[in-house]
Amino acid sequence: MDYTKQIQEIAAKLFAEDKIDAFVGYRMTGFDKNQVPAIITGADDVSKLVFNDKSVFNLSNYLKHEHTRNKRVGLVVKGCDSRSLNLLLTESQVKREKLYVVGIACDGVVDDEGKKMQNCVECMFPDAVVADEMVGNHGRSGSETLIQTGSETLIQTGSETPIYKINADVLDLGSKDLVQRREYFEEVFENCIRCNACRHSCPLCYCAKCCIDQETSTLYNGANTTSSAFHALMTWSLHLAGRCVDCRNCEKACPSHLPLHLLHKQNEQVIYENFQEHLAGVHEGDRGAFYKYSMKDPDDFIM
Amino acid sequence: MSVEIFVTDKAGLQKFYEAVIAKNETYAPVEKFGKYDFKRVTSLSTCNPDSPIAKTMSAKPLFFPRSAKIMKYTATSAGTDVMETDEDPLAGKRVIIGMKHCDARSLQVLDKVYNWDFIDTDYQKRRQNTIIISTRCDKAEIHCFCTSLDYDVENLDALDILIVNGKDEKIYINARTEKGGSFLKEYIAGLTSANGAADGELKQQYNAFAASFRLKMNYKEVNEKLAKIFDTPEFENVSANCVSCNTCAFVCPTCHCFKISDEKVRDTGVRYKSYDSCNNGYFTLMAGGHNPRPAKYRRWRQRAMHKFVYYKERFGENLCVGCGKCTTSCPVNISIFEVVNQVAQ
Repeated sequence: MDYTKQIQEIAAKLFAEDKIDAFVGYRMTGFDKNQVPAIITGADDVSKLVFNDKSVFNLSNYLKHEHTRNKRVGLVVKGCDSRSLNLLLTESQVKREKLYVVGIACDGVVDDEGKKMQNCVECMFPDAVVADEMVGNHGRSGSETLIQTGSETLIQTGSETPIYKINADVLDLGSKDLVQRREYFEEVFENCIRCNACRHSCPLCYCAKCCIDQETSTLYNGANTTSSAFHALMTWSLHLAGRCVDCRNCEKACPSHLPLHLLHKQNEQVIYENFQEHLAGVHEGDRGAFYKYSMKDPDDFIM
Repeated sequence: MSVEIFVTDKAGLQKFYEAVIAKNETYAPVEKFGKYDFKRVTSLSTCNPDSPIAKTMSAKPLFFPRSAKIMKYTATSAGTDVMETDEDPLAGKRVIIGMKHCDARSLQVLDKVYNWDFIDTDYQKRRQNTIIISTRCDKAEIHCFCTSLDYDVENLDALDILIVNGKDEKIYINARTEKGGSFLKEYIAGLTSANGAADGELKQQYNAFAASFRLKMNYKEVNEKLAKIFDTPEFENVSANCVSCNTCAFVCPTCHCFKISDEKVRDTGVRYKSYDSCNNGYFTLMAGGHNPRPAKYRRWRQRAMHKFVYYKERFGENLCVGCGKCTTSCPVNISIFEVVNQVAQ
């Protein structure tokens, strides 16, 4: 998967037509084979842009930054990134008319060791679900790379409707009993250093003041104790329940390599099974599972 | 002091480690979720003294804990009562094995600030009661640049006992401080004194290690240039893609900013001192609502300047040891090496 040329062409075109003020993509670092997100503000820097299977970070995170606020922005999104973008649009965090979305038909990205990331292996929506312009050739035989134009294109993988698979790690953990699970998570919370990098790197955490940042709360104080880590991470994961799109920005950011996806995937599964097969951000205008009411919602917990 | 170098082999080193662990309160890198963190160990099989540097957390929390109780209190309508906390769990005599050179050096840098206008007695006690056993790296990792900074990696005296992997599976053990020398005396039973060639071998090993560095910089040039360009717009460019996640500061062996928070239940509470980061948007936010560093580039400038200008001016040393932990942990691969070099150009 290498769409460097196409992305450079699109960015150059957008700057030439004066459609955007900034373009958010990826570039190589100056000195090694790593990639860093790049926010470029002029046609001169377009040649720096790259896109390949190392373009991991979910760029919709940058829509909450001061560099992109109130600007016309071009944005590169993979499948998962586009779902979080969809949610940001629904939750009125971004204005659609200020965005030019370059959607990628993604073949999956790799981690630092060059192995395909687990969420990419399980991915249900590799193609961007919201885009002004698509790059890539999924489900289209015959042509090498096909760029399809048109706004808000919804593309599904092939002709089949994707089937929801329960995450293998969640399944594995679910087979353990309550005590073992508790022990496992106690280890997770013990190794948390409360840097809150998971929250900051999450594209959907945009609260100006987060509830877990209080200085004088018994539950969420800044102290790095197992109980405060427990409360902070659990609150965070519940706030993302029905919204998390499994881009794994949080896991990539975690300096302790904690398996944070377990919390989110478990929530995702519960919500999928109980809230009419809800998956976050798949359709434009879709609200999170807890933001909409349906007569079909489970109510057996009410006496 | 006369420096005697002992030679042993892999099995001998294992025995040495086992003897140290059996006799002392020992901390070593323990693997969890693919990352090594320094924890109390009781047997060699649970830890890995040769843990890869990129996957090992700093040993800083053993001296400056991620969260330390600083006081207990009761606050009722009758008045407020402040009490001492429990005994410091890190104050006892202890040994750290598997600490990297850069990590050991960071303590020397931190000593300056902890012994500055206010003497942090807790920190001092932890420092005095600790023996550091450190293995010299054989090869630099991708983000390492310790040899480019203002300290002598080869003759580092921040560690008490040095272990070097020599040729033909030989392993050299060498006391670097008096404290280390008297500690080592108890364990020399299984070790043999090396012949005169050991000095040469140590040198050779260091040269091979120093040659493996990919990153090289001239820190003097960086110090000088950064000091003159406070207002450069380049900081805005280099910090644009930072997501302000603070990971860099939390894993950094020299960062020492902290915040104070209370855990209060009804009338009684505990006050904690925990890590914080200058990259945090509300790190400088004042009670009245004013924030002197509202923009991300200002916070990044503070971070870079503190590491390479302010600390250097005040204490004569860089607040960076070139371990590359920040770069390894950064979710968007921002490198402090690249940033300061790009800005200084």
